[in-house]
Amino acid sequence: MTNRVRSRKSIKGLWAWLGLVPFFLFGIAFEIIPVLTLARSSLTARDTFTLQNFERALTPIFIESFRNSIQLSAATAFLGVVFGTLVAYAIITTRSVWVRNALTALADVTTNFGGAPLAFAFIVVLGSTGIVTLILKMIGITLYPDLFRIYSIQGLAVAYLYFQLPLMILLIIPSLLGLRREWREAAINLGASAAQYWLRVALPILLPSLLGGFLLLFANSFGAYATAWTLTGPDVNLVTVQIAALVRGEVQLDPALADALAMLSLAIMTLCIAGYQWLGGRARKEGR
Amino acid sequence: MKNDRGIWRIVVLTLFLMFMIVPFLATVLFSISVRWDRTLWPEGLTLEWWDKVTSRSAFETTLTNSFIVSFATMFALALLVTPTAYWAHMRVPRGKPFIEFLTIIPFGIPGVVLALALIRFYSQVPLPLINTPSILVAACMVIALPFMYRPVANALDAIDIHGLTEAAQSLGAGLGQTLLRVIVPNIMPGIISGCLLVFSTVFAEFTLANLLVGTRFKTFPIYLVEFTRFDGRQASALAVISFVIAWLTSLLIIWIAGRGGRPAESLGAR
Repeated sequence: MTNRVRSRKSIKGLWAWLGLVPFFLFGIAFEIIPVLTLARSSLTARDTFTLQNFERALTPIFIESFRNSIQLSAATAFLGVVFGTLVAYAIITTRSVWVRNALTALADVTTNFGGAPLAFAFIVVLGSTGIVTLILKMIGITLYPDLFRIYSIQGLAVAYLYFQLPLMILLIIPSLLGLRREWREAAINLGASAAQYWLRVALPILLPSLLGGFLLLFANSFGAYATAWTLTGPDVNLVTVQIAALVRGEVQLDPALADALAMLSLAIMTLCIAGYQWLGGRARKEGR
Repeated sequence: MKNDRGIWRIVVLTLFLMFMIVPFLATVLFSISVRWDRTLWPEGLTLEWWDKVTSRSAFETTLTNSFIVSFATMFALALLVTPTAYWAHMRVPRGKPFIEFLTIIPFGIPGVVLALALIRFYSQVPLPLINTPSILVAACMVIALPFMYRPVANALDAIDIHGLTEAAQSLGAGLGQTLLRVIVPNIMPGIISGCLLVFSTVFAEFTLANLLVGTRFKTFPIYLVEFTRFDGRQASALAVISFVIAWLTSLLIIWIAGRGGRPAESLGAR
């Protein structure tokens, strides 16, 4: 009797899964299968399994593109974490509710902004005849052509910070708000200095959120293409720029090479996102 | 001591504000300047570049194309995600991890890799998708999926869907009626936030449009990138339009979130 009820219930439960089929079909058709196609073709040559596509992907020019992409991502993620946390702390400790809300809204508005318009705005500000460039020249700092160029990897780093900084601010504000006033008071009462409180109490609590933020910002920058393409074109050798060039032109000539590069960057991105998810779960658990 | 700390905060916040605002203001001013590359202040103001760039037929075409892709993606995602999320919350909670897995994947796939993967697979199968706006919409749906799912799922978490569904069904409502007349109105702020996030993401999308359809179906960002190489002053007017559309959409999302529904979670997808 109970068995029959249970089996009828589980059959009903199974039928219920049918309602999710359209969504799963979409995911399989446009996420899973295309990525698996890439993986398979990156690992085959003349219908046999091989690693030779990856060997060919490790030529100096592509190795350099990975080095550039990783350096750019690490630098903008690090600066984003440091300055983002600083600004976020300044925002949440501001007394005026209006200023707090306005600045949080500004971060919200700007973090999804990137690509061509952003690149162009930075040319207007920091290009060779940009307004900040002119002001700096007046006070005796000549940026061009030796000190700084917006059309270079350093220039890209400045432009990337425009979306990295607000993303970090939005990510870290909840964690900073989770730091209780009592912890600080307890530490001070026990004779800790402000620096000791930050180093020994606040930092260890914030660490998972800071690391998670770093990983998410790293991925955010590593996958970026539009801003780099508009600002520097093919001049700066980044992984995404290389893959895009292969897609546009040479993919017919050497498709497996593009696939190998794409799989390598997918591996890096997956590590970052998985690490972010894991650390996020830890931070949430500790916050409870 | 107290004063010192106040000054520290003002300096940090002022620098932040300047970094975020000056590029936009400079672009606006640049777009209405006769010339602004030799002097600190523009050598006269003009609307000539705005006139020139908006009077081209390509301006209207690309703007229309971008609106078509954005709205198509938005509606398709709303239709796909809302019933799925409701059904999973209501009847198949064990399906949720799989759904969430599919909504996290897009964060891990760079736009160039997604474009490459779609081209590699769909050029092998006999479907008329490759090089068409349809594949661009499908790709945009993938990257915007998390932006639609998160606010809708949050909105569903915040209401008593079991109670509402039972009440509706005890009054004789079918499944479709329950969803459309009872659930959807209750999670409307979430759906609208999701739609707006999708809209602003897709409207600004350059990578996918460039690699999947390119010049066959020019979108607004592609038009803008072409101009940055050929006429900076006209490009600046287009950049201002992109800034304004993106900022207005975000402000609308914040406003809706503030009026009810939970704040929409936003993650950069560059």
